[in-house]
Amino acid sequence: MEFLLTGLAQLADPTVFFVMVFGAILGVVVGAIPGAGAAVTISILLPTTFSMDPLTGMTLLLGVYCGAAYGSAIPAVLINTPGSPVAVLTAMEAKPFADRGEARRAMSLAYSSSFVGGICAVLALMLLTRPLAQVARHFGSAEFAMLALAALVLVIIGHGGRRIEALAALCFGLFLATVGVETAYATQRFSFGFQPLMSGIPLVPLVIGLFAMSEALVQLTARSHSKPPVQLSGRFFSGFTEVFRYPRTLFGSSLVGILIGIMPGVGEFLAQQVNYVWARKLSPEGHLFGKGAPEGIIVSEATNNAVPPAALIPMLALGIPGEELTAMMLAVFLVHNVVPGPQLFIERPEFVAGLYWTLLVMNFVIIGFLMLATKWIAKAALVDKRFLGVVILTLSLIGTYASNYSLSDCGIAMVFGLLGYILRSHRWPLTPILLGLVMGPILEGRMRQALGGSNGDPSIFVTRPISAAMVAALALLIIFTIRGARKARRRPRKDWQINDS
Amino acid sequence: MTDDELPANRLESLALTAMFFAVALALLLAMPWATRWGQASGGWWTRPALMPGLALAGLTLANLITLGRALTDLRADPPTPEERIVARQNILGWLRPVEFLAYFAIYVWAIGHLGYLLATLTFILGLMLRVRLTSPRWLLTGVLTALALVAIFRVGLGVWMPAPPLYDLAPDALRTALIRWF
Repeated sequence: MEFLLTGLAQLADPTVFFVMVFGAILGVVVGAIPGAGAAVTISILLPTTFSMDPLTGMTLLLGVYCGAAYGSAIPAVLINTPGSPVAVLTAMEAKPFADRGEARRAMSLAYSSSFVGGICAVLALMLLTRPLAQVARHFGSAEFAMLALAALVLVIIGHGGRRIEALAALCFGLFLATVGVETAYATQRFSFGFQPLMSGIPLVPLVIGLFAMSEALVQLTARSHSKPPVQLSGRFFSGFTEVFRYPRTLFGSSLVGILIGIMPGVGEFLAQQVNYVWARKLSPEGHLFGKGAPEGIIVSEATNNAVPPAALIPMLALGIPGEELTAMMLAVFLVHNVVPGPQLFIERPEFVAGLYWTLLVMNFVIIGFLMLATKWIAKAALVDKRFLGVVILTLSLIGTYASNYSLSDCGIAMVFGLLGYILRSHRWPLTPILLGLVMGPILEGRMRQALGGSNGDPSIFVTRPISAAMVAALALLIIFTIRGARKARRRPRKDWQINDS
Repeated sequence: MTDDELPANRLESLALTAMFFAVALALLLAMPWATRWGQASGGWWTRPALMPGLALAGLTLANLITLGRALTDLRADPPTPEERIVARQNILGWLRPVEFLAYFAIYVWAIGHLGYLLATLTFILGLMLRVRLTSPRWLLTGVLTALALVAIFRVGLGVWMPAPPLYDLAPDALRTALIRWF
């Protein structure tokens, strides 16, 4: 209890509170703009948070992350275009609502299920993270190496419909992580004597290039034809209470969202798919899914919003980022020499508890803001794509340059911007590249430590009980995935079932 | 992925996969020059070449599989002449973003010569004219955006930018303000 109260005191800091409100509002607005979204915004904001204290910086990024998860429902309902890829199911389910003149009902359903999903996940974060960190205190290098490996395997499995491409992207990310001077022998690896590469591929230019610049290039080169907006018709507040008529779907989706969010490397896309398929099977109104079922929106939004706080659980407790946005946030920790993992709860308990409270309060701030300002935010969804491209490209420079004041970083961002553009246009996933880059050093370091401890004997991974259990679980997962993929080959996937992150 | 993008052309995808495979293979073959196996003092698990070697082997294998799948698909259902024409156009389309990246490179260069405010203003307005956002209302929006960026990042967050020689022409007091805020 004392641990939680120390966090509450952090929230009393006006700077943290102001940054939380600002981040949440910014997140909602960018989430409502198709093509902007959390990944683009966080990648651009990342360097500016380096000068803030860790809690303030993380609060800003988490505000954007959570706000965007709510905001992405607005264009999904309003122009039948998801604000982010994870709102695809919302867009699919909301269209019939809009056609029936019930756009406001669809929005309030989305908001309230997002709120319930978000709150449930924050409570899970509060309850589970510390015990998990306490368990992880007994982990050795072998267990951490297996956890990192599990995260990488899950990244590939999570990209249903694009698994081989995800494997290629992940291996590319792992390769990029090795570029530079390696520590054990001070040996150059693929830097070819080129000075800017000696210290490795910098994270910020890569993130800005892959996620922000490539998006700007897509917007600038896209054929522009705007969709006519749907009128905000119908009753706004009806959906707020309606969600509680489907408690099994609402809380079940939140729970599955939390469980899948905790699994490193999987993310909301797979959580949504699992929930959607099961909710359709279990619901008496399952035949209405895809034709404007309230439960369809509930599943999509409750899951979507349960994942961000849940994805923080493995990052805070184990130091393993769950998906691309927490991988970006890991940079904030590292810049401030805050090492996530079991030790964080001993060394910086006030920081962890502060994060809990800001996340909890943030959900109330966001829902309040949405209730007041939906009409105006909806206009942001209609912004011209070309103008959006111009703004993102302009912001990319300050994001890249401000991180290191190095012009070579701008060059690196341009290279990854072009690569990201080509990969996006072929629906190759980008997230595994980032996770490979972030997880590569963790995996290599832990593997070296574990094998060093056993004098190079790889059986260390199967002779320690927790590590052996992880190896067995991973082997089973891989076998079942291969078997499932063989069966699925006969059934072509629908577009919403393909995760190209 | 934007909503108005067409599904990828199979030949274009083949070209992309072949390119990725070639790059992955070239990097794998460049291993002996790009890094070294390391001294014998440490165990096999500490060798510098181990991790990049594994990553590049995985990358090459994954690209080989996608390349194989693309070739099998094209052999089973050969491409039509129209598909070939579209593929050629699409591959040339990869160069379209290069134009915008060139503008971006000029923008980076211009910051050191014109200062952040002028360079940003020129970049935004130039890009808006290029993408045909030419109405006075759009151009005014562009000017306000540039000013907002300066206000947020230079004035608000104090992000440092190199001072251009142009600012040296201004009187001392003004020069200091220009360097600090603009």
